[in-house]
Amino acid sequence: MGVGSGHSRMYRGGAGRQPRRHDHTHALSDGNAVIVARELTKTYGARTAVDGISFTVEPGRVTGFLGPNGAGKSTTMRMVLGLDRPTSGSVTVNGHRYADSPAPLREVGALLEARAVHPGRSARNHLRWLAASNALPAARVDEVLGIVGLESVADQRVGRFSLGMGQRLGIAVALLGDPAVVVLDEPVNGLDPEGIRWVRTLARQLADEGRTVFVSSHLMAEMALTAEHLVVIGRGRVLADCTTAEFIARHAASHVRVRSPQAGELAALLRRSGPDVSVDGGPGELRVRGIDTTGVGDLAGAHGLTLHELTLVQSSLEDAFMTLTADSVEYGAAPAGAVR
Amino acid sequence: MTASVLPRAVVRAPRPGFGNVLRAEWIKFWSVRSTAWSVGMLFVLGAGLTVLVCATSAADLADGGIDEAPGSFITWGLMIAQVTAVVLGTLVATSEYGTGMIRATLAAVPRRGTVLAAKAVVLTGTLLVVGIVTAFAGYLGGNAFLAAEGIGLSLDDDGVLRALVGSGLYLAGLGLLSMAVGLLVRHTAAALSTVLGLVFVVGNMAFLLPGEWGEWVAKVLPGNAGSPVTMPVPFNPMLLDPWPGFAVFAAEVAVLLAVATAAFRRRDA
Repeated sequence: MGVGSGHSRMYRGGAGRQPRRHDHTHALSDGNAVIVARELTKTYGARTAVDGISFTVEPGRVTGFLGPNGAGKSTTMRMVLGLDRPTSGSVTVNGHRYADSPAPLREVGALLEARAVHPGRSARNHLRWLAASNALPAARVDEVLGIVGLESVADQRVGRFSLGMGQRLGIAVALLGDPAVVVLDEPVNGLDPEGIRWVRTLARQLADEGRTVFVSSHLMAEMALTAEHLVVIGRGRVLADCTTAEFIARHAASHVRVRSPQAGELAALLRRSGPDVSVDGGPGELRVRGIDTTGVGDLAGAHGLTLHELTLVQSSLEDAFMTLTADSVEYGAAPAGAVR
Repeated sequence: MTASVLPRAVVRAPRPGFGNVLRAEWIKFWSVRSTAWSVGMLFVLGAGLTVLVCATSAADLADGGIDEAPGSFITWGLMIAQVTAVVLGTLVATSEYGTGMIRATLAAVPRRGTVLAAKAVVLTGTLLVVGIVTAFAGYLGGNAFLAAEGIGLSLDDDGVLRALVGSGLYLAGLGLLSMAVGLLVRHTAAALSTVLGLVFVVGNMAFLLPGEWGEWVAKVLPGNAGSPVTMPVPFNPMLLDPWPGFAVFAAEVAVLLAVATAAFRRRDA
C-alpha cells in the first residue's frame, strides 16, 4: 500500500470501521477505559497549560491526541506518566496512578517527547538499564532492537543518531516491557515517509492485538490515517472527543468546483436553484456549496452551458483542524515567569 | 492476534525491587565515558601526585628543609583528586537533566526516593573503593621515597591507616554532597562551580574571617571539616580533629541530601 493509496483512506474517513457512540458523560463512566483523565489541570505560574480536561482512552483502538503545538499535549502526557504533578484533577492508568505501578514498563510503554537519552550512551546500554530497572529479561533488549530495526547501530552512541533513529529507539523503549498500554508522544517527528508508515502500521497492529494505544500529534492528516478515535485539544481544553469518522463528517466541509466560460450565467442559475445553494469565486471558476456535482451538471446541461471542470472538493482535514483550533493556537512566547 | 510483534513472555518476569533499580543505575553509571575518565583521573591525580610530591620533597623533609610532617604528604594527591569526585557526583544528577534522561528514569522507576537511594549507593560505593585504592597506591609509591630518606611511615603509625580509609570516606561524602547540589541546581556547570567554589574558594577564604566566630565558620565548612580525616597530620593546625570534623561534614551532607530529596520528590521531572 503506497502513501497515495493510504491517503485516499483519509477521505473515506475510516468509514469501514465501526463508529462508536462516545459522548463525554458516557465516556467517564465507561468501565472499559484504560486511561482516565478527570478535570486534569496544570498551571505554570500564571499560565494554564492544561485547563480541566477530561477524556478516556479505550483498549483495542488507536486514540489520537491532537492539538497544535503548545496545546498541552505533552504536559498531559507527562501527567499521565506521573512525571508532572497535576495542579488539580487526576489521571489514572488501569485504575491507579501511574506512579503506583510496581513495574510500570510492563504496564505502560511510553515514547517521550524529548529524546530522553544520554547522547554518550549506546542504544543497547540505554535499553539494558531500562530492562534492568523493571526486572525484564536482558534478551528482550535484542528483541526490541530487532523490532525497530536498530540492531546494526545498537552499540553506537545515541548522540550520533539521526532524529529518525532516535525516534525508533524511543519506540523500542516503549515496547521493551511488552506493555498493554502504549503512549507515544509525537512518534512520527523526524521520520521519513517510510518511517511514518511503519509507525502507523505498528500503532494499528498494537491496537489490533487489543492494546490501548494513545498517540499525540499536531498533524491532523497523519492522525486521520492512524487513529480511530480522536481527542482534540487546543489551549489546554478538549475541543472534540469523537471517532475520526465523526470528526471528519462534522468538520471537513466539501464544495463543488466548477470552471465554465459562462460562469456568471451559471452562478445566477445556481443561486436561483435552491435556498441552501451558495456560490462564490472569481471569473471562470465557481465554488458552489449546497448542491452536489450531479445537480450542477444537470442545471448546466438543461441551459446548454459549457463546463470545463466539475469537481467535488473535500476540504482537507488539516483545514478543518486549523479552523477548529484557530482560536486556540498559542502565538508568541509564554511570559518569562511561566517557563519552568 | 496474528504475528504479534511482542512475545508475551516477559509478563512472567519477577516483580522488580531495589536490587533491580540498583543494577539499572550501575549500568547507567558505567555506560558513559565520563565515568571511566573521572575514575581514571581520580586515580592518576590522587596516587600519581602523591608519589610525585613525596619523591621531590623526601630529601628536604628528611633534612628539615621543609618544616612539615611527612604524614601531611602521604595523601597529598587526594587534595587535587577530590575535584573528580565532585565531577562524578554532580554528573550523576545533572546529566539526567541536561539530556532529558530524567523522564525516562522516572517513567521506569516512579519511586523517586528509590532512584536517589540507588544512585547514592552506586556513587558512594564507587568513590569509597576507588578512593581507598588510590590512597593505598599513593601511600605505597610515595612512602618508598620517604623510606629511602629514613622518614617512611608504617601502616601502624598514628593515623596512617585511618587517613587511607578516610580518603575513601571523604571522597564518597563529597560525591554525595555534589549529587545533592546537582539535584537542587539541575545544571552541570552551575552545580560544579557551586561545589568547587564552596570547597576550594570559600573554604580557604573563610580563614580570613575575623574573630572566633570567623574561625568556627571556616572550620565547619564542608571541605575544611571533612578533609582532616584524609591526612595522618593535617597541614592546617586550625582544622577540626579528623573524626569530629568528619562527623560535622557527614551531617552537612545528610542535611543537604535531605533537602535535595524533598525537592526531587516534589518537583516536576
